[in-house]
Amino acid sequence: MKNFNWLALGFLAPALIVITVFFLAPVILTGIFSFTSMSTSTGVTGGEYLLNQSGIRALADKGLNTATLDQLKNAGYVVDEKGLAALAERHGVATATEMRKLHENGQFSSRRDMERALKSLKANKIRSTKDRKAAAELFKHSLLNERFPTESKFRTAITEGGIPLEDHELIVTQAYTGWVWTVDNVKLLFSLPSTLRYAGNTLIYVTLTLMFNIGFGLFLAISTFYLPAKSASTFRAIWFLPRILPPVMYVLLWKWLTWDTGFIATTLSWIGVAPINWMLDTSTHAWVVVVLINGSFGASLGMILFSSAIKAIPSSILYASEVDGANRWQQVRYIILPHLRWPILFITSYQTLSLLTSFEHILLSTEGGPGRATEVWSLAAYHIALDNYGGNLQYGLGATFAVALVIIGIIASLFYLRFFNFNEMVAKPKIEG
Amino acid sequence: MQITLQNFTKKFDDVTVIENMNLEIKDGEMLALLGPSGCGKSTTLFAICGIHRVNGGKILFGDQDVSDLPSQKRNVGVVFQSYALYPHMNAYENIAFPLKVRKDKPADIKRQVHEIAKLTHIEELLERKPGQLSGGQQQRVALARALIRKPDVLLLDEPLANLDAKLRLEMRSEIRRIQLETGITAILVTHDQVEAMSMCDRIALMHDGKIVQLDKPSEMYNNPANKFVADFLGNPPITFLDAEHKDKTLLLPNGHSIASPNLNAAVKKVQVGIRPECFGPQFGMGVKGVVKFIEKQGREELFDIQLTDGSILRSIQASGSDLEVGADIDWGLSLDDLLFFDMQGERL
Amino acid sequence: MSHNFRHWPIITILTIVSLPLIIMFAFQIIDTFTTHPIDSMIPNKVTFEQFSFLWDEAETGRANIWQVTLNTFIFATTTAVVVCTVSMTTAYALSRLNFPGRRYFLGGLIILHAFPTVTLIIAIFLILQIIGLYDTLLGVIMVKAALELPFGIWIMKGFYDNVPWEIEMAGVQDGASRFTVWWKLVLPQVQPGIFALMIFSFLSGWSEFLLPQVLAPGNDAQVLSTYMTALIADDTKIDFALFKAVGMFYALPVIAIYLIFQKKLMNIYGGGTKG
Repeated sequence: MKNFNWLALGFLAPALIVITVFFLAPVILTGIFSFTSMSTSTGVTGGEYLLNQSGIRALADKGLNTATLDQLKNAGYVVDEKGLAALAERHGVATATEMRKLHENGQFSSRRDMERALKSLKANKIRSTKDRKAAAELFKHSLLNERFPTESKFRTAITEGGIPLEDHELIVTQAYTGWVWTVDNVKLLFSLPSTLRYAGNTLIYVTLTLMFNIGFGLFLAISTFYLPAKSASTFRAIWFLPRILPPVMYVLLWKWLTWDTGFIATTLSWIGVAPINWMLDTSTHAWVVVVLINGSFGASLGMILFSSAIKAIPSSILYASEVDGANRWQQVRYIILPHLRWPILFITSYQTLSLLTSFEHILLSTEGGPGRATEVWSLAAYHIALDNYGGNLQYGLGATFAVALVIIGIIASLFYLRFFNFNEMVAKPKIEG
Repeated sequence: MQITLQNFTKKFDDVTVIENMNLEIKDGEMLALLGPSGCGKSTTLFAICGIHRVNGGKILFGDQDVSDLPSQKRNVGVVFQSYALYPHMNAYENIAFPLKVRKDKPADIKRQVHEIAKLTHIEELLERKPGQLSGGQQQRVALARALIRKPDVLLLDEPLANLDAKLRLEMRSEIRRIQLETGITAILVTHDQVEAMSMCDRIALMHDGKIVQLDKPSEMYNNPANKFVADFLGNPPITFLDAEHKDKTLLLPNGHSIASPNLNAAVKKVQVGIRPECFGPQFGMGVKGVVKFIEKQGREELFDIQLTDGSILRSIQASGSDLEVGADIDWGLSLDDLLFFDMQGERL
Repeated sequence: MSHNFRHWPIITILTIVSLPLIIMFAFQIIDTFTTHPIDSMIPNKVTFEQFSFLWDEAETGRANIWQVTLNTFIFATTTAVVVCTVSMTTAYALSRLNFPGRRYFLGGLIILHAFPTVTLIIAIFLILQIIGLYDTLLGVIMVKAALELPFGIWIMKGFYDNVPWEIEMAGVQDGASRFTVWWKLVLPQVQPGIFALMIFSFLSGWSEFLLPQVLAPGNDAQVLSTYMTALIADDTKIDFALFKAVGMFYALPVIAIYLIFQKKLMNIYGGGTKG
């Protein structure tokens, strides 16, 4: 008994590890991420402290008093090591040494004061005003646009900058560039008008494609069933190719068919129709093409499953119906279709989930366009989090979009458990131990 | 309706399964197509109902040539071996199906289904699905479905093969009763001689795609046309002994001789067919042997007797003898019931 | 099938509805080996110059086609091997061994089987960045193999379920350990299954687009699907003949495998793939 458990553990271990890292962890992390403000600009790990112009504006909006704002905005001058090193490089070590002697750690609030301090150099004078001005800049010490790796360093800096203590909290929070916990994503999800649009698009996409898949899968299965083996397998092979071809390649063929330099446009130009992009001209065009691409891809699954289900019907039952006088249509309607009830139900639920979450073909063909006419939910999640023109990838918001799909996924899988005759599947091993 | 097969030929690809078969089934008759598996009896049935096309010759329903008509246009009823009930329809819907696809009025359908259900004794089963019916009940439903259109001919393909022994007996008489009550022309395909003999008016015994004998059951048993027929009919089967024919006398291999006044003198060698019921103590003595095996069948006992020359004869006797294996016997033959064949197996 | 129905109406309808696909496939082949005048679809010259991308120096900023092909091959093969190996043991344990929690493991497997890639990919993208495997072939291989695994286990379990228990019972009676029984007696029975799964995973890896696109966008780890996408996305010149030639080169192994193993593949796709 013990032995068998160890064996099982050994057999399962690789899968357990992989599944933990690449399924469990991502699912949990997706949940976590959806409550953060993570994006390209916040980074993934931790954040820095940085005040920039927009930060200042935000602080002003939050009611920080003007005096403090001015202090933050206006540069101060400090004779520190960094400045001295720069001075040494520009005007020689001697100058720097003298400067250190005279003004080490000296603070000056205006440029004029700083320049005056530089004028006070005796042994190593900086003669031209222009050079002095430039040298003064070397000691410029501003909170603005300066990066601080930790909170304590930032706090020290603003304390040194003379910012009143009561304003520190507000400024520190504003200056933090890392991600924070937030429910803004969820709020955004429910308030953005595009959310509704994506949901609507998804509904259109799933419904139309599903209808095409099932309808056409049925048509292919039933029609090839009535053909002699050779022509049947020819047609099945043609319709199976879209599934087996790499998606990039498959979609390329559709582009060739539909683009303004493509087959349809060229052929129609012979009869005087001006060439247009039949894939992207209007949103109707885009929808038709998207449904056709995904439909032709998906129909093969229905074709295969329905075909084998039809083959499983005892031939005597089909013979019986013919002897009973049923014509072809009646045979399909009364005998074949009732036998396909479960496969149809299965494919419907299975494809619904697949279609809800699949976007590869849309991404490759219309990319959600024209405009956002064919941007479906999962494609939106992908665009928001992983690939958008703005360049700021919003992982947090994308994760929130994905979580909606996770929930649908779990519900659908529970639904499947009913299909797969779970109890039979988990029937106890016949060798006990 | 009278069904006629004229020079009917059926090929599968290049293999000719049936060649130039001629058969006439009289109106109202029940005919058995009997034969071992692979003899072409089911092929013939499938050709009559139109599932298979004929490759040569004609099939006539009455005067109408139906050879080129699809199943749908031939008015036939078929009961398949597995019944082929539509599993998703209940009994009523199954029976109503032929009328439904013919687009009869619902009221008409209802009346006819109940009529036929009454005939086949399944009135109270109409709501059930095939899965909820026993084998015999499914059989009745299949019969009802086949009969509902009042077909020109009823075809039964091994209808009893899937039933247990007791139900088989019951359904045998039921099918015959229904056939007689409706007066329908019927063809029964079977490999079971008992079924054929007990249910049918005539039997067409098939072998290798040919009809070897077409006759009434009793006639066929008593008067087989050749050795194949004699061998195929009868259970336990007949045994054969090779005999020398000389001077109106047959000399059996064990030395026993029998008078044979009616045989042609030119025939020198004869195969003598001896059915088990034609050999036993009640027919006198003269055939000596040893009991090699006893099979007790309850009411009767079957003996395998080894004759002195080593050949085996079978004998069936009423139970109650106290013979044991190894016992010596000296029994006789019922001379009037012996069957004589030449060495090619043709009846003499 | 019985002979009660005619064929030609069906063949006619099927041919008409299949016409777009037939045209696409036909011109895919015609256009890669010929040139045609602008505004025409009829070829006027047989040529191989569309395939010059195979021997010409790669343009600046574009990866070398042979390097990309090698990447794709490594990607597909490694994925297939990992999926097969792990499925082989896991599916056996699920099908035949008794262990606590077996029920939940199987239930979980079905849930994973139905789990969409898009919901995981964002988190995986970040995980790979954190563990430093972002933009490496190794990282994408691991992710692809992991995502294919539930399907592989599922299919393999189906094959194991069909092996008669008697074989194993006999083996155990003969004194072999369960491991030996698996290795020596059961594994040979499911060899066709392993082979089918191997082909399937290879094709799946060969065709994969999304994972390399998101997780390894750089030139070093580029595979044929992303190479081709980049080529098409570069809209300075739309040259369908070139695209098709690259596509032909890309799809050739797939088509070859398809032609050889058509039956096997249809079976396994019927076994429940996504899409």
